[in-house]
Amino acid sequence: MSEETLGAFEEQVMLAVLHAGDDAFGMSVRRQIEARTDRDVAIGAVYATLDRLEAKKLVASTRDTSSTGSRRVFRATASGRRALAHTREVRDRLWRGVDLAART
Amino acid sequence: MPNSPTSSERSSLPSIAAAVVRALTPRAEREEVLSELTVEFRERVACDGSASARLWIWRQCAQSVPHLVRRSVWRGTTGFEPQSSRMNPGGPALEQWIMDGRHAFRRLTRRPRYALLSILTLALGIGGTSAVFGIARGVLFDPLPYKNAEGVALFWQQYSWTQKEFAFFRGAFPGFSSVAQYTDYDATLELGDAPAQLVPGISASSELFAVLGAQAAMGRTFNATDDVRGAAAVAVISHSLWVELGGDPSVLGRRIQLGGKPTTIVGVMPKGFWFPAPTTRVWIPEQLDPTEQNGKFTLVGRLASGNTIDRMAAPLAQLTAALGKNFQYTPQFDKSKNAWVKSVRESFVGPLRPTLYATFAAMAMILLIACANVAALMLGQVEGRSSELAVRSALGATQGRISMQLLSEALLLGGLAGAVGGVIAAISFRWLIAALALGEWGNNAVLDWRVFAIAMFAAIVCSVVISLAPTFSLWRGRLRDVIGSSRTGGVRGRGIRLESALVVVEVALAVLVTAGAGLLVRSVDKLYAINPGLETKGVGVLSVVLPSDLSDVRRAQVTGQLIDAVRVLPGVKNAATVQMLPLRASAWNAGIVVEGKPDLPGSTTLVRLVSDGYLETMGIALRQGRLLSAADMMYDFADSSGGVVVINESLAKKYFPGENPLGRRVNSGFSRKFARIVGVVGDAAEGELRGPMAPVRYAPLVEAPFVNSTQHIVFKVKGDLRPSALLASARAAVHATQPRVAIQEGTTMDQVLARSVGPARQLLTIVALLTALALFLGAIGIYGVMSHFVARRQRDWGIRIALGLRPVRVLSGVVGRGTRLVAVGVVCGLVAFVLLAHLMRSLVYEIQTTDPLAIGASIIVLLLVGVAAAMIPALRASRTDPAIVLREQ
Repeated sequence: MSEETLGAFEEQVMLAVLHAGDDAFGMSVRRQIEARTDRDVAIGAVYATLDRLEAKKLVASTRDTSSTGSRRVFRATASGRRALAHTREVRDRLWRGVDLAART
Repeated sequence: MPNSPTSSERSSLPSIAAAVVRALTPRAEREEVLSELTVEFRERVACDGSASARLWIWRQCAQSVPHLVRRSVWRGTTGFEPQSSRMNPGGPALEQWIMDGRHAFRRLTRRPRYALLSILTLALGIGGTSAVFGIARGVLFDPLPYKNAEGVALFWQQYSWTQKEFAFFRGAFPGFSSVAQYTDYDATLELGDAPAQLVPGISASSELFAVLGAQAAMGRTFNATDDVRGAAAVAVISHSLWVELGGDPSVLGRRIQLGGKPTTIVGVMPKGFWFPAPTTRVWIPEQLDPTEQNGKFTLVGRLASGNTIDRMAAPLAQLTAALGKNFQYTPQFDKSKNAWVKSVRESFVGPLRPTLYATFAAMAMILLIACANVAALMLGQVEGRSSELAVRSALGATQGRISMQLLSEALLLGGLAGAVGGVIAAISFRWLIAALALGEWGNNAVLDWRVFAIAMFAAIVCSVVISLAPTFSLWRGRLRDVIGSSRTGGVRGRGIRLESALVVVEVALAVLVTAGAGLLVRSVDKLYAINPGLETKGVGVLSVVLPSDLSDVRRAQVTGQLIDAVRVLPGVKNAATVQMLPLRASAWNAGIVVEGKPDLPGSTTLVRLVSDGYLETMGIALRQGRLLSAADMMYDFADSSGGVVVINESLAKKYFPGENPLGRRVNSGFSRKFARIVGVVGDAAEGELRGPMAPVRYAPLVEAPFVNSTQHIVFKVKGDLRPSALLASARAAVHATQPRVAIQEGTTMDQVLARSVGPARQLLTIVALLTALALFLGAIGIYGVMSHFVARRQRDWGIRIALGLRPVRVLSGVVGRGTRLVAVGVVCGLVAFVLLAHLMRSLVYEIQTTDPLAIGASIIVLLLVGVAAAMIPALRASRTDPAIVLREQ
């Protein structure tokens, strides 16, 4: 089976889930992306993407009912990590040899 | 780490934004998302101020909506539910609808016969009802193209006012601000070398457009001087004629050959304008002759401001008093009596109302029957799935959820039926207009989006109504109890009673349609049983219009040439002409003077100006003397000894009681010169088919001091030929003989007779179709409910047959039950019919609306259908093999 290549926003969401660690729920993922990309991200877009990633089994969600109330907490699955690595690899391959300073 | 906010803190989140997010988020995530948004919102209020925080939340909301909607659609179609939400499943409403829709679609595709039947029956009802609704709206309710149309009214005794009467009151009709006179003017239009075409029009006094409050789209309407004697011939044309003439604005001032006269076009009316019929294409001013006493005009007036039709009694009394004082009338045509004015809408389309309403009612009943049928089918399906539903209920599905699924199934059925119904409406639209014989009024009905909107609306209403029955059944019973009884095969009454009730409703509605059809059949039968006194079979009619610039002598010659041209066609036995066809309620009366009877009270009789051979062609029987011969047509105008005339029996009876009319002399119609009676013929329905036969004089065409522009060439065909098949060659012969003659209409006397039978005849085809449909649907309903009944009691039958019950007893038991259901439906239907039958009064002829024969026949038909439909499941039940059934259980 060929590896999954993630879309740009999917990649950002996956990375945000990894950055958030054990605290990866919808709003924290959104904040992670906003903080690292310095742009506004709609919470609806984050949830829609997380659903899609979960349907593709790249993330898994569990319900965490601790002191902070009930939350859907995400973690990247092994295939999710592989997909991220693959996506990065593909990107690197594409960048290889590209010289933005060179004039055409 | 955010804390869960209290309710007062959460209220700080703009409520609309919160509602939007709540509505688009799955149930399991709602609290979390709203809490997190509220916490961040509060942080932002504290840091950046309220305005900035609000701007942020609205931006979040606006940017999230498309993503959340897409997610709902995606989750609805894929059925995705995240692992973490398994204990609290369920998405926003949109997701639920999509899932229910998919579920319903899967269930329908698994039962294609049920789905197809439901969709088709509903579609027929929806399509038919919306098509008739569209037609009725166009014909009966669309605004008329006149300013304040409710203030425009027609006078009593149409096509019988004289110019003298009009001139007497002109400008001073009590109760009216202005009144115009008009009469039909079907003119020939000659363009280049092309054969003359007929342009239907009217000739009117100059007030016409002011009365109607209509302006020309180009040029002008009539001037006050246009109807003065000697004024130049001008014409106002319709938009459609303008388009036909090239659609060029330079048409104003162009001279056309209209009615054989060079006429200047002075105005073009806007698109959609018509008067007095949608087919009218030209309006010309009638040059007023205040001494003219030819009664052929209709009066149309605009009520004085503040007046309404209801308040016209006093002005009309004033008018009739003046008429009685200044004019002499025979009692039969006394204009000073029974005066009324009627709004133009009522006058024009009022007579179409019973036909359209009856068709609409019949269609609506079909729709109701279809709804009841589908509801009963669905109920049966719900019953069949009761175990499945009970399991789902035990697993946590609420009754609301299950009801929603039923509604979505009904909506899906309804939606598909609406779409198919829209197509049926589009296809049947023109056919219905033709079948209802709306004639020129049919042109006012246009197939547009509104017909489809109505179809979809009807479909949604039907869906909701249909889902009520199974939902009701579901809510009434205790679903979970079903699990206990489902394996025992016990007889359960739930549902079957409701299903039976629906079938009773279906049968009752079918009785209404069938009995209504029975009444129509009986009326039409009675109408066809009337002897019209003439032979309509094998007679074709070609109505032609001669150019009005021909002299009377020349017109008589041209008419003779046309008759000869048709007579020599292969297959034609005989041909002749007349100025007014029988069976069309055409008037054309003239005063009668009988020689030697000066004291006879002044009265009028119908006059028919005919060529020789007309009476033979029409099959009007000779009673005494002889018919008109070719020699009678060679009348010498200079000869003062007068010509000849043939009278009918009614005239003989009225004016020559107990005498021999042959050889006596009466005036032939339009001159006071006497003509000798040479023959008496049997009465023929020269006026209407219904009602008493009128006295008629048949005078030779040349007897009148003028020859009508419109002539009806009638021809009898040889043997069993169909006259309609010869119409094309007759048209060609007429054009070849005389290109300046326009053809108004080609028809057959059978069609003229069918039209004269009236709305009952027009409705018959449609109602017959609908009756067949109602019976078919009723049969399906009875079959369905009896099948379920039999299926449920199969175990019972098995045991009883095993114990020695004879299969024929099972058969009679099931059929008896089916018949009882039908009987209850028939009784309900009869009660409803007796209560509603008076609505059909205007459509029936010579029978009571509670005609026992029509009602009896409908009862027998329904009982037969009921027994036949119950017979199939009954046979199945009687063949129950106890061994198989008991093993299955």
